[in-house]
Amino acid sequence: METNLVLEGTKFMFLGMGTVFVFLVIMIVATNVASKIINRFFPEPVSIPKEETQNTQNNKKIVAAITAAIMHHRQG
Amino acid sequence: MKIFLVKLITLFALLGFVGASANEHEAAPEAQVTEKQETYVGKDFSLMVKDFLKTTGVNAILNPDPNELSATGKPMSDFHKGWGRVLMILVTFLIFWLAIKKGFEPLLLLPIGFGGLLANIPVADIAGPHGFLGVIFQAGLSNELFPILIFMGVGAMTDFGPLLSNPKTALLGGAAQFGIFGTLVGAVALSQYTDIFHFTLQQASAISIIGGADGPTSIFIATNLAPELLGAIAVASYSYMALVPIIQPPIMKALTTDKERRIKMTTLRHVSRIEKLIFPLLVLTLSILVLPDSTPLIGAFMFGNFLKESGVVDRLSDTMQNAMINIVTIMLGLGVGSKLAADQFLVPDTLAILLLGSLAFSVGTAAGVIMAKIMNMFPGNKINPLIGSAGVSAVPMAARVSNKVGMEYDRTNMLLMHAMGPNVAGVIGSAVAAGVLLSIFK
Repeated sequence: METNLVLEGTKFMFLGMGTVFVFLVIMIVATNVASKIINRFFPEPVSIPKEETQNTQNNKKIVAAITAAIMHHRQG
Repeated sequence: MKIFLVKLITLFALLGFVGASANEHEAAPEAQVTEKQETYVGKDFSLMVKDFLKTTGVNAILNPDPNELSATGKPMSDFHKGWGRVLMILVTFLIFWLAIKKGFEPLLLLPIGFGGLLANIPVADIAGPHGFLGVIFQAGLSNELFPILIFMGVGAMTDFGPLLSNPKTALLGGAAQFGIFGTLVGAVALSQYTDIFHFTLQQASAISIIGGADGPTSIFIATNLAPELLGAIAVASYSYMALVPIIQPPIMKALTTDKERRIKMTTLRHVSRIEKLIFPLLVLTLSILVLPDSTPLIGAFMFGNFLKESGVVDRLSDTMQNAMINIVTIMLGLGVGSKLAADQFLVPDTLAILLLGSLAFSVGTAAGVIMAKIMNMFPGNKINPLIGSAGVSAVPMAARVSNKVGMEYDRTNMLLMHAMGPNVAGVIGSAVAAGVLLSIFK
């Protein structure tokens, strides 16, 4: 067995690292594309904004009440 | 009720009949056994005691049996039959100490250590083909079943969220695989230019996969390419994984500037459930297209993850994460331990494997950090190079180390979730690297 092992090992290294990087780059691109598609066409039904609208409504009511109170106070 | 009873009785009668006919078939060898027993003749009591003393462990260690073969059926030197075993039993005590007192991966090192202890018992031949360690080894290690099952459990424990929210950090997990291939070159150079070691390319590849910092992958590759080195490779792999908090920080600090270590990364975006559900299928599809040789590992990993993310089979995913992985860990540890028999472990190669393993870990860590620095040269959100070291799998230990080192310089800089991205990408990366090595030697 007189093959140059170190040379063989170096070939392995280039092939291996090349494959790992190519695989991961394709994976990154595919993931980005998939995420874009999913978020555009199947956006997650978000429950948080609903609460926010409720909150803002509540806030509005509170603001209205406070303004009314102030008005009342000033008039009184 | 009566009908049921009648049925039951018929069933037993049938079983009895089948059993009886089976007995008839076995009757011939049984007769021989009884014949042998009949040849037993009464012995003088002193002779009996003398014969018994010959079967003790003390005698086996002091006067090795010249006809004894190793668990793999090869002749052994007297050293490996006698004092080598004592030495190995002491080594397993050292492993116990490391696991219990120092907290080095006790979940694996304890079963491995105890398996090693049992495998080095003379006379009993527990690691032999008919001993229970040998049976465990045959059942799940020589056919690579156990590492695959572990991979399923790890998959069910993995959250790809951090990776999905910042996919480019996966490149760090790729760069860290340089530890594997750099060490491969180192290992073949060692056997080419020294006379002590003669590693074939297969053996060199199996050793270098330690740099993947992934126990199951190491075992998978070692059983495939170099089963004779399995014990040393598994022990090195798991011990270095335990040593991650000691090996990595100096390398990370040496390669980064103070300013780089303080880089704050942008907060991770929210990842939807469908994204998480699609990702395992996406990666598996890619590996089918690019590298089918890596699909046993990636397939099992993604299966576990898919069940977890599906959210409808919590029972199964829970079993994988807990019961199954625990049971398999016990078996895997004992099976690997059976390879700690003196004749297989006390060889010069082990020393080289331990050295090359630590080299693989260090090179992988350095490559990950350097890759992060290279990526920072390009426009876009900056990456804290400290998370580069998490690219060597070792989930989640390596990510915790990144976080800890980052906090040393800026108390408010939480890197843990950022580091989980390259960390899980490292698992995929080492599985791909393993697939490449397998495909080369096909």
